Amino acid sequence: MMKNKTFYLSVSLCVVAMLGVSSCGRKQPPVVAPVPESPPVQVEKPAPEPAPTVSIGASPATIERENQTTLRWQSSNATSVVIDNGIGNVEKSGSIVVSPLESTTYTATATGAGGDAKSSTRVTVVPKSVEVAVTSTDLDSLKRAIDEGLVKPIFFPYDKAELTDESKTVLEANAQVIQKFVQANLVIEGHCDERGTEEYNLALGDRRAQVVKDYLVQLGVSGGRLETISLGEERPFVEGSNESAFSQNRRAHFIVKR
Amino acid sequence: MKRILVICCLAFVETLLQAQQSDIVIYPSPREDTKLAVVSFVPRTVATADVQSVADNFNQVLLEDLEFSAFFEIPSKSFYPLKPLRFPVDVNFDNWQVPTLDVDFLIFGNLQVDRSLAMVEAYLYDVKTHQQVLGKRYTIPDSSFVQRVAHEFADQVVFQLSAGTSQGVARAQIAFTSLKGESKEVHVMDYDGRNQRSVTANGGINKFPAWSFDNEKLAFVTTLPGTAKWELWVQGLQGGRTVLPVPSSYVSSPAFSSDGKMIAFSGRRPERQDAEIYVADVDGVELRNLSNHPGIDTSPTWSPTTQQIAFISDRSGSPQLWVMDVDGSNVQRLMKEGGHCDSPDWSPDGRFIVYSWQAPTQWKHDIYVIEVATGKIFQLSSGRGDNESPHWSPDGRHIVYQSTRTGTKQIFVMNADGNNSRQVTRYGANDSPAWAGYVAIEETIEEVSDEETEGLAEKMQEGEGLQEAERP
Repeated sequence: MMKNKTFYLSVSLCVVAMLGVSSCGRKQPPVVAPVPESPPVQVEKPAPEPAPTVSIGASPATIERENQTTLRWQSSNATSVVIDNGIGNVEKSGSIVVSPLESTTYTATATGAGGDAKSSTRVTVVPKSVEVAVTSTDLDSLKRAIDEGLVKPIFFPYDKAELTDESKTVLEANAQVIQKFVQANLVIEGHCDERGTEEYNLALGDRRAQVVKDYLVQLGVSGGRLETISLGEERPFVEGSNESAFSQNRRAHFIVKR
Repeated sequence: MKRILVICCLAFVETLLQAQQSDIVIYPSPREDTKLAVVSFVPRTVATADVQSVADNFNQVLLEDLEFSAFFEIPSKSFYPLKPLRFPVDVNFDNWQVPTLDVDFLIFGNLQVDRSLAMVEAYLYDVKTHQQVLGKRYTIPDSSFVQRVAHEFADQVVFQLSAGTSQGVARAQIAFTSLKGESKEVHVMDYDGRNQRSVTANGGINKFPAWSFDNEKLAFVTTLPGTAKWELWVQGLQGGRTVLPVPSSYVSSPAFSSDGKMIAFSGRRPERQDAEIYVADVDGVELRNLSNHPGIDTSPTWSPTTQQIAFISDRSGSPQLWVMDVDGSNVQRLMKEGGHCDSPDWSPDGRFIVYSWQAPTQWKHDIYVIEVATGKIFQLSSGRGDNESPHWSPDGRHIVYQSTRTGTKQIFVMNADGNNSRQVTRYGANDSPAWAGYVAIEETIEEVSDEETEGLAEKMQEGEGLQEAERP
C-alpha cells in the first residue's frame, strides 16, 4: 500500500516540463538554443570570405548538482572554435560532457576568415533531489519547502531591484518547487536595508517583490498564485548596521499565503 | 503703538555645502527686536503643593513655547522684580524699564485650581504704553488642561506680536508613528512631545501620517497582519475611517492638498514594477496617474497654491527631487547634485522645499532646504546619526524631523535655520513626523476686557471670591 508515501522530487523532469511551458512566447526564457539535427551543408564560396556560424546547446539544460550534461555545438566557415568557462579550443563541431556546480552560461566563439560568431547556452544547476514528505495539502508542503530552504530568498545589491544571474538561478530552482504545489499561493515580501530612507525604501521593496514575481511568471508560475508586498525597512531579518546585516536585509522573501 | 516688531524674513545666507556644517545660517535671528518678560503665573489664593505644581507646569510650558517661537528675547527671571504679579494693578511699569531689563512686553497672570474646575487668567501688556494687549480667561474642566492653556496663550501672544507673521505653532500637533513590538501605530502629540496618544491600534504597520487641511483627519498607509497589501486610510481624530481605493498592493506617502480637495500619493499599476504619483479627490475617486514613467516615483508634496507637486523619482538613476505641474506636465529635476533625496515637504510660503538628502560625499542623511526659484541648497542638520523625514511647522519657521543621533529613531524640532534642535520623543522608536496646520482659536475662551480685569482685580483685592461668579 502507498499510505504515508514519501517520494523523491524528480526535479529534472519537472524542469523540462516547466521549460516547455515557459518557452511559449515569454520574454527571455532560460531555454537552450536548439541543436540542429544534422550539420549544415558546407558551401565553398570564392570571395568574399563567408562569415562563420556557430550554435551550441546543452542537453539536458537543467541538471541536479553533481550531475552531468552534454554540450553540443556545430560551426561552419570557422577555422577555430573556443568555448569559455575553462573548456578552451575545441573541434569545429562536437560535444563534451560537463558537470558545473552552479548554473553556467557557456559561450562558443567561432573564428574564421570572415569574422567571428558567438552562440551561448545556459546550464541551470538545481540542488540535488530532496525528500519532501507529502502532507495533507500543498500549502503545508510548500511552507515546509520554504522552511527547509528549498524556496530561497532573493538578495539584491544596494539600491538595486534587478535580478543577478545568481538570483535567476535561485528563482529557477524556486519555481520548480513552487510548481509542485499548485494549490498553494505565495506572498513575496520585498525588503530593504536601513540605509535608504523610509519612503523610497517602501517603493524599492515593492519593486524588488514585483521583479521577483515577474520572473517567476516568466518561468511559468501563475501570476494569480503570487501576491507581493513591500515592507521597506520595517522588518529587518538581521539587526545591525554593517554590510553583513544590510546584505541579508536587502531581499525578497517567500511566505505561504494562508 | 509698537506691536509690529518682528520681520520674519527668510533671507537665507547662502553657505557652501563644502563649508563647515556648523556655520550654516538661514535667517537672521528673529530675537533682536522684541524683549519680553514672562513672569511666573501665581495661584490666586494660598497655594497648596498641588496647586503650586500645576502653576509650575503651566509656567514651564508657557516659557518653553515662547522661547521656541524664536520671536522674543526673554531675559532671565533672575533679573525680574521679586513682587509677584497677579493682576494688572500689581504692575509697576517703571520696574520693567530699568536698564537690566528694559523689556517691551510683559506677560503675567494667575490661576486657580478647584477639584472640578480650573481657571487661568493671562495678560500681555505693552510696557512702554502701559496698554493691555491681551487679557484672557481660560476656564477648563480640570488642571490637566493647563498645558493646553499655556499653548493657547503662547500662540495668541505670538500672533499679536508677530504682526500676523505667525499664528503660533504651539497648538499645532504633530502626528508620527511609533513602533510597539511588531506593530507601528499612528500617534499624535503636542509639538513639545507632551500629551502623546494613539490614533490607531490596529496591530498592523501604519506609516506616513499626513494631516487633512482642517486638522481633523489623518491619511496614512496601513498593512494589517495577515494581509499582503498596503491600504490608504483616512481616519478622523474623533473616529470614522475611510479606506480609499488604490491601484495595487502598494501605496505610500499620502499628502493632502492645502485647499482640502485632493490627495496625492505614490501607487503602482498592477501590471507594472514601479511606483508612480497619483492624485485623487479626497474621497479617492477620480484617480489620476501623473507620472507615467519608468522608475520609482514617490513622496509627493503639494505647492501651497496646489498648482505643482514636488516628488522623488529615481528615473535619472538615484532618487532625486523633481517637480511637475498638477496635470503631470512640465516635469523638471530640481537639483543636479546626485546622492539620495527623500521626503520633500513644500514650505507654507511656497519658497522652499525641505527634504532629506544623502549628499554624494556623505554616508548619512541630513536635512536640507532648497529654494525653489534659485535652486540654492542649504544644510540644516549635521552631526551624528541620520536625520530624515522633515516637515514644516504651519508658520514655516520651524521644522520637525526624525533623527537617530541618540541611538534610536526619535523626533526632534528645530528652527527653520537648523538652530535650536529639541528632542521631543524619548522612548521606543518614533518616526515620520507631520506637523498639523494652524489651529483656530478656541471659541470657549473668554476675552477679558481691560475694564473687566481691572474690576475683577479690585474685587479680588477687596476679598471677593471669583469662583462663584465664574462657575457656569
